[in-house]
Amino acid sequence: MPMKGRFPVRRTLQYLSQGDVVFKSSVKVMTVNYNTAGELSEGARKFVFFNIPQIQYKNPWVQIMLFRNMTPSPFLRFYLDSGEQVLVDVEDKTNKEITEHVKKILGKSKEMLEKEERERKKLSHPATFGPKKYHLRECMCEIEGQVPCPAFVPLPNEMRGKYKAAMKNEA
Amino acid sequence: MLRALRRCRPGPVPLPALPPALGPGLGPGLGPGLCPAWAPRAVPVRGRKTRHDPPAKSKAGRVKLPPPVDPEELLVVLERYRQHRLVLSALRAEFRAEVLQRQREERLAAGGSAEELEEHRRLMAWNEEQNARQRARREERLRKEEEEQKRRKLEIAEKQARKMEAFLEEKEKEVLQLQEEAKNFITPENLEARIEECLDNPRNYNFAIDKDGRIVKRTVLS
Repeated sequence: MPMKGRFPVRRTLQYLSQGDVVFKSSVKVMTVNYNTAGELSEGARKFVFFNIPQIQYKNPWVQIMLFRNMTPSPFLRFYLDSGEQVLVDVEDKTNKEITEHVKKILGKSKEMLEKEERERKKLSHPATFGPKKYHLRECMCEIEGQVPCPAFVPLPNEMRGKYKAAMKNEA
Repeated sequence: MLRALRRCRPGPVPLPALPPALGPGLGPGLGPGLCPAWAPRAVPVRGRKTRHDPPAKSKAGRVKLPPPVDPEELLVVLERYRQHRLVLSALRAEFRAEVLQRQREERLAAGGSAEELEEHRRLMAWNEEQNARQRARREERLRKEEEEQKRRKLEIAEKQARKMEAFLEEKEKEVLQLQEEAKNFITPENLEARIEECLDNPRNYNFAIDKDGRIVKRTVLS
């Protein structure tokens, strides 16, 4: 499959999952106004090009809209579900600074993310066996060091009821 | 238990007539007059005729009457059913409302705790501060740019003025020079005099030069 676009690394899962901005559940819409030319919008342009895919990957339910060349200076606007609008001026900032700023004001903190991760892990028990959709393993034969699945490697005769019954009948 | 509820009991039920179309054979525990509870009861059979065949002559005068209904019993039964359903639906609505209320409370408790709101307000204030700082920087920059532009305009104006001046001076000098030269012009009035003057004073333009580059202007005029 050929590489598409100027920086195809932006399309890789590894790059996308490296994004660390996870918005709070109250953020619904993010709007970016920036200009395609001009030194002051450079940070905003880089932000849109490199960081927005990461943000959208981590927040699939947040609507992100981009407006080009509508205002003289670039800014971000967040619409929360309480109706509040948060304005962030990004003129003269690099894209790294913008992501840090956004993470600080509207991102979930690391403790919160870890807490959510722990809650999610609590729902499922890793030691149970069952369908792959809900459990890690289906059968003991999948684990290394255990008796292999008789479908692939026949069991030794001592463990087969057929052989044992035959022996008993013989004796 | 009511006889009509026998169908809900797990196990075979008595059937007045075993329909011949019943698939499963009689298993253990089932007698000749029983069938499994899940088996269909009255299997619709049309027999020999399709729906488009005319009914038989023996059925010509047949009048099909609905089953007889005792009006008082009907009223009593309907009233009882109405009350029963009313009570049940009220109970269901009650439980539904309780569940919704509990969900709403849980959502409120999770979303709007005091520290979170406080934290949110603090972060918004910090953001506002950053914006104000950026605004100040931007205004500063714009002011500087305006000044710069004004200065440049002034410079240009000055340069223009200087150029105009120099130009005018040049022109003035030319005019004066021309005036000076005009004194020596030959006009029709002093034409005769100038000719006389030229003829009286012959000028010798000849000169001699030798190989070393020495010029000799004093030569003999012929």
